[in-house]
Amino acid sequence: MFSERRYDIVVIGAGLLGCFAARNLRRWKVSVALIEEREDVCTGISRANTAIIYSGYDHKPGTLKAKMTVQANARMDQLCRELDVPFSRCGSLMVSYGEKADAILKQKLHSGIQNGVPGLRLLSGPEAEQMEPALAHGVRSALYAPTAGTLNPWALGIAAFENACQNSADAFLKTTVLDISAVCGDYCVKTDRGNFLCRAVVNCAGLASDRVQKLLFPSPVSLSINAGDYLILDKTSRPMPRYILQYEPEEDDKGISVVPTVEGSLLVGPSERDGRPDYATDTEGLSFVRRQLRELLPDLRVDSVIRSFAAARPNPQRPDGSSIGSFVIEHPAHAFWSLIGIKTPGLTCADELGLYLAEKIAAELDADENTAFAPRRNGIPGVRGLEFAQRKELVQKNADYGEILCPCEEVTKAEVLEAIRRGACTVDAVKRRVGTGMGRCQGARCQQKIIAILSQELGIPESAVTKDGKGTEILYHGAS
Amino acid sequence: MEQVKLLIVGAGAAGLSAAMSAWDAGCRDILIADRSSIPGGVLPRCIHAGFGLTAFGEELCGPEYAERLLAGLVSTGVRLSLGTEVLSVSRGKTALLSCRGCVSLLHFEHLILASGCREKGIGALPVAGTRPAGIFTAGQAQEMINLRHQDLGGEVLILGSGDLGMIIARRFVLEGKHVIAVLEQADTFGGMARNYRRCIEAYQIPLRCRMTVGKIHGQGRISGVTAVHLDSGEQEFIACDTLVTALGLISERTLVQGLESSPWLSLAGNCSRVYDMVDSAVSQAQHIGREVGASLL
Ligand SMILES: Cc1cc2nc3c(=O)[nH]c(=O)nc-3n(C[C@H](O)[C@H](O)[C@H](O)COP(=O)(O)OP(=O)(O)OC[C@H]3O[C@@H](n4cnc5c(N)ncnc54)[C@H](O)[C@@H]3O)c2cc1C
Ligand SMILES: Cc1cc2nc3c(=O)[nH]c(=O)nc-3n(C[C@H](O)[C@H](O)[C@H](O)COP(=O)(O)OP(=O)(O)OC[C@H]3O[C@@H](n4cnc5c(N)ncnc54)[C@H](O)[C@@H]3O)c2cc1C
Repeated sequence: MFSERRYDIVVIGAGLLGCFAARNLRRWKVSVALIEEREDVCTGISRANTAIIYSGYDHKPGTLKAKMTVQANARMDQLCRELDVPFSRCGSLMVSYGEKADAILKQKLHSGIQNGVPGLRLLSGPEAEQMEPALAHGVRSALYAPTAGTLNPWALGIAAFENACQNSADAFLKTTVLDISAVCGDYCVKTDRGNFLCRAVVNCAGLASDRVQKLLFPSPVSLSINAGDYLILDKTSRPMPRYILQYEPEEDDKGISVVPTVEGSLLVGPSERDGRPDYATDTEGLSFVRRQLRELLPDLRVDSVIRSFAAARPNPQRPDGSSIGSFVIEHPAHAFWSLIGIKTPGLTCADELGLYLAEKIAAELDADENTAFAPRRNGIPGVRGLEFAQRKELVQKNADYGEILCPCEEVTKAEVLEAIRRGACTVDAVKRRVGTGMGRCQGARCQQKIIAILSQELGIPESAVTKDGKGTEILYHGAS
Repeated sequence: MEQVKLLIVGAGAAGLSAAMSAWDAGCRDILIADRSSIPGGVLPRCIHAGFGLTAFGEELCGPEYAERLLAGLVSTGVRLSLGTEVLSVSRGKTALLSCRGCVSLLHFEHLILASGCREKGIGALPVAGTRPAGIFTAGQAQEMINLRHQDLGGEVLILGSGDLGMIIARRFVLEGKHVIAVLEQADTFGGMARNYRRCIEAYQIPLRCRMTVGKIHGQGRISGVTAVHLDSGEQEFIACDTLVTALGLISERTLVQGLESSPWLSLAGNCSRVYDMVDSAVSQAQHIGREVGASLL
């Protein structure tokens, strides 16, 4: 099966960064192919992270990272309106219980002011405890960042993906990039589903981004991968904090974050430990997270934990093993760009980074502006949280909006069908689009129904329905 | 807005029995709503015998027990609304109901919550490792095998030896599958002795006590677990292609969170506390039904 396709630009990897690169490249008159190995987008780093939209006080003043974060944060309401993604600007409190942490907070306040983070305030212990009564007593000080917020990372990535496709970027899922070569001033991206000839390459391959660059150029930066563990607590947990809390412990350990998510659940983590990029959690890592959570929010009942998961962290290193703190944006040759191991705040800056690359490449290719670019995308309308009248209107238009498939998260059959129509072909892909199975029963009640619907809509037997791609069939196939 | 005197959430053994008793006590305006398209709650998927010795003086299977309860309701005017989710309940005694093609607000005078239990899943335990395919809760497995006739696995490991764990273990054996073992963290099985004899002993399924699962292995489908011996701390790899968790039941009261002390609310059956025997759940529900029915005259 050999085929050759021609595009102006090939984007490798459909995580948050690849999806936003593709979206922003379509602001110019260029043809774009987005190539992704997996059967869905945002299944890598973009699926497992802390989900915080940072305010921008963490980064060294004057750096691109600092500038971009503050700018991206300011534009987040507009971006989320454009892409119809729920965003909660709940604010964050970085909490200290001792001298050492206190000093760190003061330093962050200082860099925050230099970076132009709006509204930053250093609170006294009593002030902080009054704002967030769930905190363990004895708070010494807290850094309040009113502009920090949270959103669902894969919801944002999927929205960018859909918007890129609406604007005629072509997506090639289940397609693995195997090699890249230079051919008469152009590039040839070789995949297991044929070759792509193009004028520019954008490498957003996440954990594999160093290796993808090395297919054609040397990479002065390599990634060493470590891991982190998270817990999710049910939305019925009490006391539920109002703010994003960031714990700055006195010990040398890194502190966890506690995030009241847009779905209503509580996300807690991560730990930091050695690990492989297999997204497997670790016993010690999980107990570290539980211990810090108990220290920070002693009244919160940890028996409301409904899920744990692990993240894989790409750590960019120089050949001598020293780590790199800033964004690594490689430009080894004309019209070849790599985002190598973009960690925090890559979610916050996804659209900014995409636009940054798109501008550079448009200039290199001398491309014209695409005046037909349509930045708006509509999400899948859901019934959760709707007023009665709105709900009734939806049900009158489409009877399936009355049929609740996932009682924990209140997701209807209409939403599931729409997710499948938009390309979801696994149980987890449906979950990422409409939230089925994310609640306290973790799919024990709805998974069977989703399997039946996927089988019917995709015209495949139930035994071929997978949880998250090939090899994850949910029903059993005998001794195959 | 539509009105009803008595709204019952859940058409399981408890909801059906509470309705019957409230009707007998003279209440003539009763609606039962259940999200499922078949009435009976957990009973239809419990195709094993072991129900009703006290209430009916004979041993029935779950579906038969449900039929008896439903038969009693036929001659009454109790309305049954299936495929209907009760989404929320407000302080003003209004419930939001949703079913295919219709959402409605319903004002009630009294609410009997008979919403049963939910199962604790693997996510609630500090179990490390991956989250591959091939992990089911016992109730989910019961529904998939008994009602949907689906094939879930070949080499099955069960975690937890409550009644649910022991009954599902036997079910897999009867389906021709190999149950490697039932792991239990306590010193002995957690469920009733009767179920131990009938399910574990009779089918020679290994019950391994003082053990739990520490880690799950497998990238696509589960390939095994690291089991931990709780006394020695020793670890052991057990290969399996399916893991079924029977970690216990939690009374499902989310619908009335924050409203628990309202005078217009009563709890019937497993949502008030977990009953091992349906007859006990039913007798508690009948008591509630009688009281509430009489109070609404
Ligand atoms: C633990 C952790 C916590 C974080 N928390 C935050 C936070 O709170 N706030 C914030 O702003 N940022 C946060 N970040 C950063 C943010 O999550 C990342 O910057 C962002 O998700 C990176 O996305 P990506 O597109 O680079 O990677 P990915 O999502 O991993 O996407 C890369 C894609 O490339 C594909 N791919 C790889 N190789 C190939 C190939 N050869 N052919 C085809 N496709 C290929 C992969 O399948 C994958 O889908 C966090 C990061 C980590 C690790
Ligand atoms: C696997 C298993 C084996 C058992 N074996 C035996 C046995 O051998 N002998 C014996 O005597 N007992 C046995 N029992 C116990 C007995 O079956 C239960 O105690 C009894 O059936 C509980 O009835 P219930 O009505 O309280 O709950 P359920 O049967 O769980 O009914 C609750 C109903 O409420 C509905 N519901 C909940 N929330 C909503 C909502 N918001 N909107 C709409 N509907 C809602 C649910 O769909 C469900 O139908 C067993 C139980 C299980 C789980």
